[in-house]
Amino acid sequence: MKNQSKQGNPIWGFLCSVRLTITLLILLALASIVGTLIPQKEGAVEFAGSLSPETAKLLFSLGLFDMYHTLWFRFLVAFLALNLISCSVNRLPGTWRLFKASPRPDREKPFKDLPPDRSFLASGAQNEVFGALEERLGKRWGRIRKKETQGRYYFYGEKGRFSLFGFYLVHLSVLFILAGSIVGSLSGFEGFVNIVEGEQVDSIALRNRMGRMELGFEVRCDDFEHKTYPNGMPSQYRSRLTFLENGVPVYKADALVNHPVQYRGITFYQSSYGTVAGDRARLRIERTGSPKETTILEVKVGEAVPLPGKGGNFKVIRTEADFRGMLGPAVQIAVYPAEEKDGELRIWLFKNRRLLQERFPPQMLKAKALNPSAFPPYTFHLEALESKHYTGLQVNRDPGVPLVWTGCFLMVAGFIVTFFTSHRRFWVRAVAVQGGVRVDVSGTSSKNPVGLERELDHLVASLRDKFQARERKNAS
Amino acid sequence: MNSMILSYITFVYFFSFLFYLLMMVMGKETLGRAGTWITAIGIAAHTFAIALRWVESYRLGFGHAPFSNLYESLIFFSWTIILLYLIMEWRTKNRTPGVFVTPLAFLAMAYASFSPDIKSQIQPLVPALKSNWLITHVITCFFGYAAFGLSFGLSLMYMIKRLEKGNKGRSFIRFLPGKGILDELNYQMVVIGFLMLTLGIITGSVWAHSAWGSYWSWDPKETWSLITWLVYASVLHSRMVRGWRGKRIAVLSVIGFACVLFTYFGVNYLAGLHSYAKT
Ligand code: HEM
Repeated sequence: MKNQSKQGNPIWGFLCSVRLTITLLILLALASIVGTLIPQKEGAVEFAGSLSPETAKLLFSLGLFDMYHTLWFRFLVAFLALNLISCSVNRLPGTWRLFKASPRPDREKPFKDLPPDRSFLASGAQNEVFGALEERLGKRWGRIRKKETQGRYYFYGEKGRFSLFGFYLVHLSVLFILAGSIVGSLSGFEGFVNIVEGEQVDSIALRNRMGRMELGFEVRCDDFEHKTYPNGMPSQYRSRLTFLENGVPVYKADALVNHPVQYRGITFYQSSYGTVAGDRARLRIERTGSPKETTILEVKVGEAVPLPGKGGNFKVIRTEADFRGMLGPAVQIAVYPAEEKDGELRIWLFKNRRLLQERFPPQMLKAKALNPSAFPPYTFHLEALESKHYTGLQVNRDPGVPLVWTGCFLMVAGFIVTFFTSHRRFWVRAVAVQGGVRVDVSGTSSKNPVGLERELDHLVASLRDKFQARERKNAS
Repeated sequence: MNSMILSYITFVYFFSFLFYLLMMVMGKETLGRAGTWITAIGIAAHTFAIALRWVESYRLGFGHAPFSNLYESLIFFSWTIILLYLIMEWRTKNRTPGVFVTPLAFLAMAYASFSPDIKSQIQPLVPALKSNWLITHVITCFFGYAAFGLSFGLSLMYMIKRLEKGNKGRSFIRFLPGKGILDELNYQMVVIGFLMLTLGIITGSVWAHSAWGSYWSWDPKETWSLITWLVYASVLHSRMVRGWRGKRIAVLSVIGFACVLFTYFGVNYLAGLHSYAKT
């Protein structure tokens, strides 16, 4: 940047310099590279464990396990924003002058060293040519300025003035995006909640922060649906949700992956699912003796059920949809013998007994807590356990998002203006010479000189054609 | 069927490369013209095969645009490179960049077709990929990558052209366009690439926002695309504001393209959300 800083203040000059911009951009890039090489957040724990304690401590104190949220990373971004603002403030008056400027039409400088193919000879009287030129050029550029001095006629026209502001638009868009992310992190939240089919919740767990947050309304999951393709790949997850205010349903909607649901500014995203045990189980109870007896019972969790043959009572006290995440459905029952003094006996029953036998040594399975025959003469079997889906929803509120999208839109608009338009100014001069009027065409452009040359060629050619056509018409 | 045609096209592009190379070595424009024809036939067949793949996915019952895994992305990447190259050749009337650009398309096709790690079957879309933003995201990103690929080729040409001393240079070097033209073309490719990359990042954010609830989550692929963006933003500022030209811009463009390649391939070695590329 040429140093146009006010009063030559060195700090201001530094803040406005593109050298600073480029340095900051590169620093941010380097920091981000580090951030992708070192696992962040959740992944960091495992990674830190594989390092020597000193290294881990050092990386931790530099914040490298959650780098993008450290003070120093934010400082870099803030510095970039400051740089952007200072530089725009610094240049704005100059750009504004350029924007407002209306150069005199009768300048001679643009015509210095004009290549010969930027001139042509039009026959006819000078004022006639002048009138025709005025009409043509007016059509082309809208507003034109004209002047006549010392028998020479001049025109000035331009286009793409707004192009001067393209890069302000781009830079402003960066500020919009940064502002959006700040608004989001200050007044938004990210949380999640699991809802079992048929149940409802009124609060969610927050990520990044401890604790739960009241929603101020209730969400019920009426149904969770999970479809797969014939080859087993998942094809669709859908949660049918109902939103309730004080227990009254007010809004129903389906959340699908890529199709979140919004209610009162809070967005619910389908993000995971799982199964939990319901509260009904079917047990098969065998009683040895003569005659041998088999009973099948449908039981509900927590309800005491008499054992066949008056041997006592039992109840299901716990259920697991998938015991320890690998052993499948299981229930724990408590058995109360008919004689009080024997107390209670707790036994875990597994639907896939074979899984257990594969994984654990036989002695262990003889332990009372795992032995289905621990209460003779009965043997208990778990035949079926009701299971329910739960849906895992990501629950977010981010009021900064509209700012971010506005920024994105402005950025693309700004690029197009910056890169694909330019401020072009044109001067046309008509001078009476022997045999007619010589018309000279010249122009300048804020960028893309090749495009300007092409446009000038085109302009000269079209004017020449026009005049030749007129001549033919006049001649006939 | 489509993947068989596509694996043949690898060789077609290899022949384009050979003809462009022979043109430069022997100094015969006719060979270059043959190269152009071969490339044009290649891209016609290429387009046909992509369309066929699209149709086939409907016949299999889970119709979707063919942009959903690493195989399809490589095929599309090479298609965009050839398309952009042919447009550039047609506008500049110069065939020499073909020598530097067709190998990129050829290598991408070869990697897609012959690497044992890459599955070419058409697969149904998992729920997260079912989004119209996927299509715009992939198209914009890959046009961006292709433009950066061309910029890389032009930067190499610039560096080779710099070796020319007086008029004693080898015919190969003399055949290359002037340094000014190369620099200008390189700049134009960086501009197109930057615009497309920006659109790609934006559409990707919109998509992530609707799928995961967050428009930016510092996932390694996202972060690397930002790094690439920052590098090319520096290139543009160096050139537009500080007036850098020529060698420095060429070097920076090569660095930028290295970032593109890392964003595309290298990131798969880091954990993250964009794991489709692992299939
Ligand atoms: C990401 C943060 C960015 C920062 C901090 C930044 C900063 C700057 C600075 C300090 C200048 C110098 C203005 C001067 O000469 O006084 C500048 C110029 C410029 N920037 Fe950026 N910029 C950023 C992003 C972009 C992007 C993404 C573009 C993409 C088009 C862009 C396009 C331009 C252009 C075209 C100019 C030259 C203006 C001219 O001389 O006519 N900037 N930028």
